Amino acid sequence: MAVVSAFLVPGSPLPYVKRDNPPWGKIATGLERAGTALVQSKPDVILLYSTQWIAVLDQLWQTRSRVSGLHVDENWHEYGELPYVLKIDTQLAKACVSATGTIGVKSKAVNYDGFPIDTGTIVAANFLNPGGKIPMVLASNNLYHDFALTEKLGRLAARLAGKQKKRVAVVGVGNFSGAFFRHEIDIAKDKLVAPKYDRWNKKILALLQAGDRRGLSAALPEFATKGQADMGFKHGAWVLGALGGKFTGAQVHAYGPLYGSGGAVVEFRLK
Amino acid sequence: MPRTQKKGAIVAGFLAPHPPHLVYGENPPQNEPRSQCGWEQLRWAYERARKSLDALKPDVLLVHSPHWITQQGHHFLGVPQLSGKSVDPIFPNIFRYSFELNVDVALAEACCAEGAKQGLYTKLMRNPHFRVDYGTITTLHMIRPQWDIPVVGLSANNSPYYLSTEEGLEEMDRLGRATRTAIEKLGRRAVLLASNTLCHWHFHEEPALPEDMSQEHPQSLSGYQWDMRMIDLLRQGNTKEVFRLLPQFIDEAFAEVKSGAFTWMFAAMGYPEIPAELHGYGTVIGTGNAVMEWNLEQAKLSKPASKTRASRRAIRQAA
Repeated sequence: MAVVSAFLVPGSPLPYVKRDNPPWGKIATGLERAGTALVQSKPDVILLYSTQWIAVLDQLWQTRSRVSGLHVDENWHEYGELPYVLKIDTQLAKACVSATGTIGVKSKAVNYDGFPIDTGTIVAANFLNPGGKIPMVLASNNLYHDFALTEKLGRLAARLAGKQKKRVAVVGVGNFSGAFFRHEIDIAKDKLVAPKYDRWNKKILALLQAGDRRGLSAALPEFATKGQADMGFKHGAWVLGALGGKFTGAQVHAYGPLYGSGGAVVEFRLK
Repeated sequence: MPRTQKKGAIVAGFLAPHPPHLVYGENPPQNEPRSQCGWEQLRWAYERARKSLDALKPDVLLVHSPHWITQQGHHFLGVPQLSGKSVDPIFPNIFRYSFELNVDVALAEACCAEGAKQGLYTKLMRNPHFRVDYGTITTLHMIRPQWDIPVVGLSANNSPYYLSTEEGLEEMDRLGRATRTAIEKLGRRAVLLASNTLCHWHFHEEPALPEDMSQEHPQSLSGYQWDMRMIDLLRQGNTKEVFRLLPQFIDEAFAEVKSGAFTWMFAAMGYPEIPAELHGYGTVIGTGNAVMEWNLEQAKLSKPASKTRASRRAIRQAA
């Protein structure tokens, strides 16, 4: 199996740009733990899907060999900048672009100076792959793709990495419950928007921890609607697809509110 | 406020959609990719709108863009100068534009404060490294390629997507009224730009040659019919009927006006019952786009501030 580690992480910039706020600092610490585990798994490449890289035409894949810059989040600009340096596995990314036709998806390579890298990708990369040492494959979230098609994309990307004899870390970037506060809050007292979202998040986390794949499959459609899962939990689909649904459990490195939405740092147990 | 100024006024509003294809079709020096042609009807519509804008001699352009999305609050560009390269995340092949713009920070601050007085959560964007979204840039380039008029950029809080359409648009109504109060207090001659497409059903694949106009047509007949119905009502000046139909139009035509710019602009203008000037209509990857103008000064519905250039000079100096 090409996949040597797998993670779900939140894409909010808050743990990165404002970790001195205790609820968000907890998530930052969890992200660092996940980063340590990822490095220890010695991957050749990280396959990363962020719900915040939005596409509407085609499936987009980053194919520029090195992308770097200084990003300012559209919403949380007051907390400063997000610098980034990413090394891209262009060989694998191009293989993904060429191969998605086999699952009925038209793909496009993105290789442009100044292309806006989304906040979620940057935050995940900075915590899990500081300095951008490990090459990455970055995949977009096409709004018209559903959970099942995203699973297929994840599976395809992992299979292609296997063909290239690469050890793979898979990362899905997005929130658990996506409902958030729209008004100003006391950030030190951040909490989930409503208890029902907390219940849903904990239910999914418990299924992941128990490695209950059947229970997870049954619960996810309802989680997407009633739990307002971020983007239908398609970042989860990406990881589950790459794993071929095979995992034995999960460790939750952190869970908590991110301005009302549910943020969880999850490491899958593969053996 | 400079002592020579009178009470400010909104002198016109434009529906000014932002498909980056229009910039691509025009081939300005700021945009890297080159095209052979494309979307001429819409580009020529903007040419007519540019002439009107030039005659109005505004101090400031205010633009509300659906592509600066802020989940927490309504934000305003609040840095005197912003520059950089804007690459469209959806169409990077056709839009890689180097921009430089001046912000009327005093007016942005006033809009922000007035919005808060209306009970809205508002914020100023003070980060000088901020990348301005392609919707704002495309609309501003198409209406005023000289970039010589200060701007106020407003984000899309997208309240109609999180609340009901009606509740969300009610917030935009308050934002519009707050904007008007700020303009009047600061004595600006202002033009409002609602950066919105009408019917937003679009094709899911791009032609190999983006400017292949043989592939360009409305994606949906019902969407096109909705657009024509709404444009016709606007041309008649039947604003009440337009706003009665707006939620249905949004639902059935997937209209981008849901993001709020259109309601913001009309609320700021006081929902004038005057016939709109249609400068032109065209589709872009199947979506419906109209360039339209409501000239309040011509209709004697504005109370213009001094037409001297003093206030514009004052803003530039402040920037």
